[in-house]
Amino acid sequence: MDLQTLHAHRSAATGVRMSVHSSKTLKVTMVTGQDLLAKAGSMIAYDGFVQFDAAPASLRRSAEEMVTGEGGKLMLCRGDGDLYLADYGGDVLIVHLNNEALSVNGPTLLACDASLQLTIEPVKGLAKLSGSGLTNLVVRGTGWVALVSRGVPISLDCAERETYVDPDALIAWTDGLDMKARRTIKASALIGRGSGEAFQIGFKGQGFVVVQPSEDTGDRFKVRG
Amino acid sequence: MAREFQRGHKAKISDLTAGTDLYVGVQISAPGLTFDISCFGLDADERLSDDRYFVFFNQPKTPEEAIQLLGSQAGDTESFRVTLDKIPPQIQKLSFTATIDGNGQMSQISPGYLRIVAGGEEVARYPFDGSEFSTERAVMLGDFYLKDVWRFAAVGQGFDGGLDALLKNFGGEVAEEEPAAPPQQPRADAAPGFAPPAFGAPAAPAPAPVPAPSPAPSQAYAPPAPSPSVHAAPTIAAPLHTPPGGTVPPPAAPPAGPFTPPGAPPQGGPFTPPGAPPQGGPFTPPPGAAPQGGPFTPPGAPAVFPGQGQPFGGGTQLAPVPPEAGLRVVLTKYSEAPVGDRWTEQNPQMVRATLTKGANILAKQGSMVAYQGDIDFAHKGSGLLGKLTGQLTGQGMALMRCSGDGEVFLADEGSRLFVIRLQNEQLYTSARGVLAFDEALDTEIRRIEGAGLPGGGLFSMLFSGTGAVVVKTRGVPVVLPVGPATYVDGNAVIAWSAGAQAVTTTSLRLRRSGYARQTQEAINLQFRGAPGNFVVVQPFEV
Repeated sequence: MDLQTLHAHRSAATGVRMSVHSSKTLKVTMVTGQDLLAKAGSMIAYDGFVQFDAAPASLRRSAEEMVTGEGGKLMLCRGDGDLYLADYGGDVLIVHLNNEALSVNGPTLLACDASLQLTIEPVKGLAKLSGSGLTNLVVRGTGWVALVSRGVPISLDCAERETYVDPDALIAWTDGLDMKARRTIKASALIGRGSGEAFQIGFKGQGFVVVQPSEDTGDRFKVRG
Repeated sequence: MAREFQRGHKAKISDLTAGTDLYVGVQISAPGLTFDISCFGLDADERLSDDRYFVFFNQPKTPEEAIQLLGSQAGDTESFRVTLDKIPPQIQKLSFTATIDGNGQMSQISPGYLRIVAGGEEVARYPFDGSEFSTERAVMLGDFYLKDVWRFAAVGQGFDGGLDALLKNFGGEVAEEEPAAPPQQPRADAAPGFAPPAFGAPAAPAPAPVPAPSPAPSQAYAPPAPSPSVHAAPTIAAPLHTPPGGTVPPPAAPPAGPFTPPGAPPQGGPFTPPGAPPQGGPFTPPPGAAPQGGPFTPPGAPAVFPGQGQPFGGGTQLAPVPPEAGLRVVLTKYSEAPVGDRWTEQNPQMVRATLTKGANILAKQGSMVAYQGDIDFAHKGSGLLGKLTGQLTGQGMALMRCSGDGEVFLADEGSRLFVIRLQNEQLYTSARGVLAFDEALDTEIRRIEGAGLPGGGLFSMLFSGTGAVVVKTRGVPVVLPVGPATYVDGNAVIAWSAGAQAVTTTSLRLRRSGYARQTQEAINLQFRGAPGNFVVVQPFEV
């Protein structure tokens, strides 16, 4: 049996907590005592002894709902071994926070260390747009975070110039940026998907905004039970 | 427009650019790994006969400064300045290589590229990613070589050893190696010596990333290919470490297998590709990943897969956080591409348009993902254009006009984007294939001739003039030369050159699509045209 073509894709032993396999699969090295929160249903394989539980009650109401959209759940993974996660073929982006904070557009969070704090913080200046589905989930502390991007993302430096982003394409942004909503003024303007409710979010300050090359449609998240 | 190279492609530099002062940028990265990117200046025998032409982190330029190491900039992990005119005649080939510093393997790398920039414009790009490699620890990315004129070749050749082994490959005899390589790189992890490990001996030079391979062990260790492949079948999780039948004790520090020893005929690639079966290349344990002095299988015992040999039970030690994983550092990898001209391909899925006053662009509605600067978006009443394509193809082509000063980032559901620059030329596209274009271009709706088409016919857009069209495809497209009988699916065609005539004849093959959602019937188009014309087809229908 000739398996050479498959061998090119075999998983590499890295030893680091999180690594990316061929850009679309997240590999997490699980160790007892270092639990992981992940989007339920994102597990594609594991090797070793890993248990999956419901997320702790404190998270249920708030962060969980935001991350997973409708009807989804976060799961708490614990144990020893290697855990492989993926989300419908999206590109995985891993970040290690060193006592930093990162704001995440809810559905793009794939997994994070359970030691990190997940909180919802009101976004100043965006109150009017609360119905848009944009959520400001802040991940704070020291640990690993994995995000999913549909396509190769871009990181834009907001210090150079004020940066406006389509909320559907937003993945994450660093702490301490000023945000404001910008509605396209002209009545006939149509930006964004479908409706005339065209707006962008403006970011200004020292930091970065990460944007994906796709306007995420929520559908794929509803498929999961 | 930057020419995209694939592994094995070659071209004359003069065809890419008239300039000889070139910027070569390499982007290669992987979580938790650092890379050394070097340039070897080789003589006619592909040997590094002069150490001064090995440009790397400790020797940033050659004596006459023909090759200079510029460091990390503009989204590139490493960059070089190469002045072809100044390269002395004895140097016949420049080989750009990347090696992993420490443990790791090339299959982990994120998508990267090697690109050539001349006069501020990217003229060639060779993209690669981890899926092209397996356990290699070094890769030869591309070569500039002198064959009558300077040429560029996208090599993408993986190499099991690290920097030391690469040096050895270029440097000749093992004995000569000591003066040649190590003095230039006082690295902590450099191999302590280049004495080949004795056959079967468990002596492991522990810190050595790559023990020097010697011809004899490299031949002798290589297990017969079919046997390990059977052993290897059940797992994808660990570097394979399978001595057949336990007759050969596994080497604790296996030498890099797949290349032939120095002194072999240099032409035709001095080493066997890692996928080549005779050497059993991919099955040789990767030098860096193999456990140093790890589980040593006694003869006769079942083979142990090193990655799984470790106990799952609190014994696992996590490696420290690599510096590359920091928030800022991770984001740098995705930072903006260097400023090119008006249209820049930021990555395969995103295009940046630099707008100035008076030079507007038209883009598909909703394709803006971000912008910087003062930019207005206005609904473009596309008149006849919009109506025709909208109604007749069922593919609403709603446009918006972007105007102002600044930069707009455009993308569409992660489609691959291509910037096609027209210099007083013409290009046909199907309506669904267009993401954006310069307003200065003339657009026209053309009906594809043919009788009895359902839904009134098939329409295409003709762009003419000088400017750029951004074409989007789902998946990597195929570009077909137009031959005597070229047929494409009307739902998959994206663009074609103006000299190619699209015809649907009465012998048109109509088929009802199997998709329930699809109400229209698929149309096959025949293209006719003089040689040199092309059709772009995406691997995705509708």
